[in-house]
Formats: sequence, C-alpha cells, structure tokens
Amino acid sequence: MSKNAAYKLVTHLMDGGWIEKDAAGKLLPGPLFHAVPVLGTVTAGFPSPAEEELADTMSLDEYLITNKEATYILKVNGESMIEAGILPGDMLLVERGAEPRDGNIVIAQIDREWTMKFFRRRGRQVFLEAANKDFKPIHPQEELKIAAVVRAVIRKYS
Amino acid sequence: MEPLTLHSFPRAIVHIDGDAFFASCEQSRRPKLQGRPVVTGKERGIAASMSYEAKARGVTRGMRIADIRKVCPDAVILPSDYETYSLLSKRFFAIVRRYTPDVEEYSIDECFCDLTGLRRPLRMSYLKIAERMKKELDTALGFTFSVGLAPNKVVAKIASKWAKPSGLTAIPGRELHRYLAKLPVEKVWGIGPNTSALLQKHGVHTALEFAQRAEEWVQQHFTKPFYAIWQELNGRFVIGLETAPHDNYSSIQKFKTFTPASFDQAFVFAQLAKNIENACVKARRHHLAAQRVVVYLRTQTFQDFGREVELSGPTCFPNDILKAIRPAFETLFMARTPYRATGVILLKLTEAYYGQLDLFGEAIRMQKMSNLYECVDTLRAKYGKHTLFLGASFLAHLEEQHAGERGHVPDRTAQLLPGETTRKRLGIPMFMGEVT
Repeated sequence: MSKNAAYKLVTHLMDGGWIEKDAAGKLLPGPLFHAVPVLGTVTAGFPSPAEEELADTMSLDEYLITNKEATYILKVNGESMIEAGILPGDMLLVERGAEPRDGNIVIAQIDREWTMKFFRRRGRQVFLEAANKDFKPIHPQEELKIAAVVRAVIRKYS
Repeated sequence: MEPLTLHSFPRAIVHIDGDAFFASCEQSRRPKLQGRPVVTGKERGIAASMSYEAKARGVTRGMRIADIRKVCPDAVILPSDYETYSLLSKRFFAIVRRYTPDVEEYSIDECFCDLTGLRRPLRMSYLKIAERMKKELDTALGFTFSVGLAPNKVVAKIASKWAKPSGLTAIPGRELHRYLAKLPVEKVWGIGPNTSALLQKHGVHTALEFAQRAEEWVQQHFTKPFYAIWQELNGRFVIGLETAPHDNYSSIQKFKTFTPASFDQAFVFAQLAKNIENACVKARRHHLAAQRVVVYLRTQTFQDFGREVELSGPTCFPNDILKAIRPAFETLFMARTPYRATGVILLKLTEAYYGQLDLFGEAIRMQKMSNLYECVDTLRAKYGKHTLFLGASFLAHLEEQHAGERGHVPDRTAQLLPGETTRKRLGIPMFMGEVT
C-alpha cells in the first residue's frame, strides 16, 4: 500500500471517530473503537437484560455435566441410598473414570452388578457404605472397581 | 536389512480402532456381560460384532445365529442398538478432537488423525500424545481402543492392528522395514485377494517384498491406488485425510429382515413399500426430500441385489417413490428365490420445499400431497405408527415382522425414562442392569 493510500484510509477512519491522533502524531483508538453495548432503554431505573447478559448463562446440560464424553445416565432400582435422598426410579448422571473422593457417591462394580454407595476412605483403607440402616458396609477383599462417580440426581415429576 | 526411509515421523498419522466396538459398547454398560462371549446382530440373524471372548470360541463376523448357538452355546446374542453405538462413536471422535482438528471419521468405530506439528504446543512426543488419547478413550468409554502411530495412513493401520486388543504401536519410518518383513502382503489395507494373488505370482509374499520392488515396476503393473499403497509402505505420505464432518442426514436408510423368508413377489414388494413409507416418515420429520432412491433385496443366501432410481423431482411422499421404483423392483425380483430382507436408501436429500411453480399443475398436486401427509402424520402421531398406511404395504402389516421369535428391540428402547418416547430419547448413553 502506498503512503498516500494509507493516509487517505486513516483520515477516513479519523473522520468516522474510530481512531485519533495523539500530540506526537501516533494513532490511538478513538471513542467508537470500543463501542459500549447498549443494554436496553431505561424505563424504571434498571436496564432490561439484553443478549449481552445472556452470554453468561448456561444450559441445564452445562450445569449438570462437566466431562461430556464420560457422562452416562442410569436408573436407580434399589433403596440402598434412600437416606441420602436417592429413591428408586431416580435418574443419575455419572462420570466414568473420575477419581472418587471420600464422601462421594459412586457406582461400583461388585460381582458383575452395579452398586451405588458412599465411597469412604479411612487412611489407606477404602470401603463402601449405604445410606440405609438395613445395609452393612462393604469392605472389599480384592481391588475395588469404581466404574463412575455420581455427579447429579434427577427426578422428573410429570 | 536396510531401512526403507531414514525419517521417523515426517508426518504423524494415528489410526484408532475400537476393539470389538459394538460388543464392547454392550459389555461396558452391562457388568453382567463382562468376560462373557457377547455377539450383536440378533435382529439381522448374523453376527455383526463379537467380543474377544466370542472370537476365542470361534464366532466370526457374518456367522449365522443358529451356527453361533452350536459353536458357543453360552453366547449372549443381542440385537444391535445403533443409537447407543452412534452416541459412543460421537464421543470417540470428540475425544480425539480434543487433541487435533484433523480427524477422518473412517467408520463408526475407526478414525485417522493427524498430529503433525503438535509436539511443541502440547509439549509431548507423538507417542505420548497417542498414549494420552488412548487412556482418555479407554476411561471415558469404558472399553479399550487399539492405536497405531506412523508416518502415513497405510502404515498407521498396520500399527493399530499390530497388537490388538488394547495395543499401542508406533512404527517410525526407519523401523518400518522390520514390521513389513513380518507382514503377509494381503494384510495390507487396500490389498484384496485378487491383487495379493497377482503379487504372489510375481514372487511377492510379504509387505516388505512389495515395498522393495522398483517404483517403475509397480507403476507398470498396478493401478494408481496400489501405487499409492506402495509409496506409503515406503514411508511417504500420499493418501490424505478426509476431514470433512459427516452429515448425518445425507441419506436415510431403512432396512428390514423378515422371517420366514418369502418367495411371494407381492409380499416382498409390500415389505419394500413399508420400508419406503417409513423412510419417508423420517424424511418428512426432518423436512427433507429425496431426489434419488436405491432399493435392494436380500436373498436367503445373503446376496444383495439393488437398483438406483432417479426421481423426476425431490419428494418425501411414498406414492411418488413407489411409482418410480416399481419397474426396478420387477427387474430385481427373481422367481423361485427366497428373500429375507428389503431395503431402501433415500439419497440427494434437499430441504423439502414446494413453492416452485410449473406449467403442468405439479405444484398444486404437491401441495395436495403435502396437506394429505400432514394429516397422515398427525393421525400416526396420535394413534400409532401403523394406523394408516398405503395399500402397497398392506401384506407387510398383516403379521409380525418375525414369525415365532418376537422382539429384537434393543434394551434401551425398552427402558424409557419419564418423558422419553420410542422415537426420542436423551442423547446420553445409559448404564444398564439393576443398580442396587
């Protein structure tokens, strides 16, 4: 681009208010450069929520699911977590491969069955505990296979 | 032995293959099935996929269910649940795309990806990246993948097969000759039985012997695709990745088996008509119209015969399609041949739109059809899928699709959550079985 062409373009942008020239002749962003978005007309003292604000909201999916590719659903049948508020028929969102922490509700695999319990860690020892007095804690004899960690419980009322 | 090339990874291409994909999808969501022989494909009457336990017992792809029960009586034979397999397949590709945007979705359970240039931004060697991908796939999907790293697609495919299942093999260019020396030439991707027979006649038995042949000789004796394979076996990168994302509705397919097999032309046509009606329902649901149709018939001996028909204009109404394919069906149908399945594929799909005016009153007719099918679809939505159908498919509606053995419905469809319907379910795969 020739000097002349650049000068012409800059003058044009200056006229439009997009850029300014400082005392040394260097170019600066003008008032229109970072245009302030209009949030809506003020009618009763507050701006109405505009698109701009909605960008900071999330969908229920995003809220409930962190690792999308590792999240599965399952349906609860038993009553072993009833005192933790998980009822038969509830739907769970579980995350495969997540590292369980003490107090997490997990899906473990015992004798080729899924089982849902609290994951407890006491020092080096780990065991599973139900939220139901009728169930005894499970102290695994061999390696404990944790398939997934429960991230959310969903109960839909029709 | 002399190396074929001195460069290790001028390009870093990875091939990833889900181990026994469909069967693994089933095993990973049902702990009861783990460690047991599992076969999918019950609804088709043949094995579509089998777990490694089933493979060890001699079950092969395409084996008939009756034969599977003989060689492996304790096999668990399940109907395919394509919805779940597709959901997991999408996750597979999404995880690979966490590392690179250059992914070729080669099939539902396989992909290629290009890692070239990613060592510095990811601060890892190519092998380390491949390892990480495998680990993420194995944990997120709950079953294993086999991974091959190489300078090109042909060799990457060899690498991923090298140590199946759950293997991770890197074949750098300068090590290539050691692998090819042990590989029979017919095991190379793209070399079929005919080409391999021809190669044997020229004294070529291993992949290395093929790679070591002179370039001119290969160009003289073989077509372009084989020359490309030869170049890749020599460590060059010539077969590019097709990274355009697959459009899910670029075609609509409906295929249905019926038992017992039938010799009856009217009955087989009714089966085909039923498939066409169902394909059109789906097309209308997605506001699509087809410009081209493929119809095919499968005989009892698993031979497929098909014909492609161009339609006079895009349509999503079975009346139009049936009229157009009738002659094709008549040439396809052979007397005294038992048929077991029919299928239809709607192709060249476009947005359904009937605004165009014409000289012959076609627009008016299409508007009428559109109104008619709006009513049909409303009735079906209210009273069930088979409330109203064309006379052409009447015979196919008289009986269950499979006499005797009822129901090849996948479990997921049978286990609906509140608010789900047989047509629409949550797009998240489900753990199956009792949760106590």
